[in-house]
Amino acid sequence: MKRIIEVERLSKSFGKVKAVNDISFYVDEGALFSFLGTNGAGKSTTISILLTLLKQDQGGVVINGYTVGKQDQAIRQEIGVVFQENLLDPLLTVKENLAIRGSFYGMTRKERKVAITRVMDVVDIQSISNRPYGHLSGGQRRRVDIARALIHKPNILILDEPTTGLDPQSRKNIWATILQLQKETGMTVFLTTHYIEEAANSDYVVVMKEGSIVAKGTPEQLKNDYSTDLLTISTERADELRSLLMLNGLEFNEERSLFHIRLSHTTDAIPILAKFTSFISAFEVKKSSLDDVFIAINGKVVNQDDSIC
Amino acid sequence: MIAFAKRNILLYFRDKATVFFSLLAVIILIALYVLFLGDMTAKGLPDFPAKKAVLTTWFIAGILAVTSMTTTLGSFGILVEDRANKTYMDFYSSPISRPRLVGGYIISALVVGFIMCMITLIASNVFLFVSGDVVLSFGKLIAAGGVIILSVLASGSMVLLLVSFFKTSNAFAAASTVIGTLLGFLAGIYIPIGGLPDYIQAVVKLFPVSHSAALFRQLIMEAPLLEAFSTAPVAMKQAFEIDMGMLYDINGKKTTQLFSFMYLIGTTLLFFGLSLLVMRRKSK
Repeated sequence: MKRIIEVERLSKSFGKVKAVNDISFYVDEGALFSFLGTNGAGKSTTISILLTLLKQDQGGVVINGYTVGKQDQAIRQEIGVVFQENLLDPLLTVKENLAIRGSFYGMTRKERKVAITRVMDVVDIQSISNRPYGHLSGGQRRRVDIARALIHKPNILILDEPTTGLDPQSRKNIWATILQLQKETGMTVFLTTHYIEEAANSDYVVVMKEGSIVAKGTPEQLKNDYSTDLLTISTERADELRSLLMLNGLEFNEERSLFHIRLSHTTDAIPILAKFTSFISAFEVKKSSLDDVFIAINGKVVNQDDSIC
Repeated sequence: MIAFAKRNILLYFRDKATVFFSLLAVIILIALYVLFLGDMTAKGLPDFPAKKAVLTTWFIAGILAVTSMTTTLGSFGILVEDRANKTYMDFYSSPISRPRLVGGYIISALVVGFIMCMITLIASNVFLFVSGDVVLSFGKLIAAGGVIILSVLASGSMVLLLVSFFKTSNAFAAASTVIGTLLGFLAGIYIPIGGLPDYIQAVVKLFPVSHSAALFRQLIMEAPLLEAFSTAPVAMKQAFEIDMGMLYDINGKKTTQLFSFMYLIGTTLLFFGLSLLVMRRKSK
């Protein structure tokens, strides 16, 4: 598969602070790629370099064959960006905003008209096209931001925490739009987010901490490597079950009449449940989430080999 | 660049507060003139024919000069706001070049300045008509339009240099207020230049807006002045013109229309050049 973004040994410092420290990764064409990290992890600096807004100190970035720092104008044609902040003009209507942004890409008036109709259809904002951007709800503004990012048919859509500050329903709607868009167009989506579960649909995840990459892999790989599933048993015979679990060498946490047992794999629950069936009133097996992965990774620095994903 | 300039013009006219505040200095000037400055200036002068018309046109010329600066300042406020709101990130991540963006800001400021000055000019002419004074002929209006273009260019270049130093809207708003207040003095509009101390006169003569005001005065005051000094000696008329800032005395030499014209062209080139230098250095 073609690598549409290649980042090689990238570093950037601000004074004595190393914001990005020798990171390397790549993004496959058509993939949904998630870039995770806490505040100050170096995500925004990396994205600013990818967007040609900031010059790196060392290393290289190639986007669809174009080198950052040398072919910036070509790169800007390749990417569409949804910034964390709403950056369109509040006093202009949705259509006016899109028309002006379309002009940045050398489109003629006629081409802009076609492009505006296309992107408004994609994100379903025809009904608000003549309303000032500043009068829209948070969710509607985000849709317009996405339309703006798509106005020139980019190959890569970069979403910088696109759902921050939105209510759950709006977040859900925005994600439905993004996923449908990716499915229909095969566009590469590069995402940063604070909502870790939003990365669950990703093809690949990179986690940053203090300027370095501390984990990378598919969501499943990360769950397997950095978190465990949890079996919870509810019982009315707590004393007996406690003794039996200890006798069988199983580690557990007890909370009132609930016993929590960590599992390496989900299927490890089956023999435990079979063995202690007569003691169980109810049970639940909870799969680990990316949230657990994120917390585990940020709780300790994970040993990382130097290979590029 | 044209679409971007159109965006800035739309933003300026849709933000009523921006329009109001860019005219605030002019509104204050009119208020002060109506309340006491008009009377004060009139009392400071001996009686002569068409005195009222001379003073009214003198004041209108000053208003036009101030408007050319305050409205371009208001329009360039959009650049500062784009910087403060990080809107520039949206622009810089697009393939539009930075010189074209700067060009868009400059064009929009010049267009806004021109439109607002033309509105002021037409409103002034209506005021002259209603007051029963001699209105400006069509030819004079066209000539005034030419001076407005030159004045807006000179003011725009100065303001561009100024805004290149501001990163926050608050700092820019504070500076705009100070500039708006000072403008009336620096262009010799609150008080005729002849009534100011020599060292302040020197500053006024250096200030490009004073030369815009001089050109406007020479054009707009021509007819009432002819009437006022039809029987007076030439020396008296010239002394009056110097006192009222229609022309300036620099080291014993009287400035001409051509001098003020060239001064405005020169300062426009100088300030645009400096602005571009500053912006280039800052973008590195």
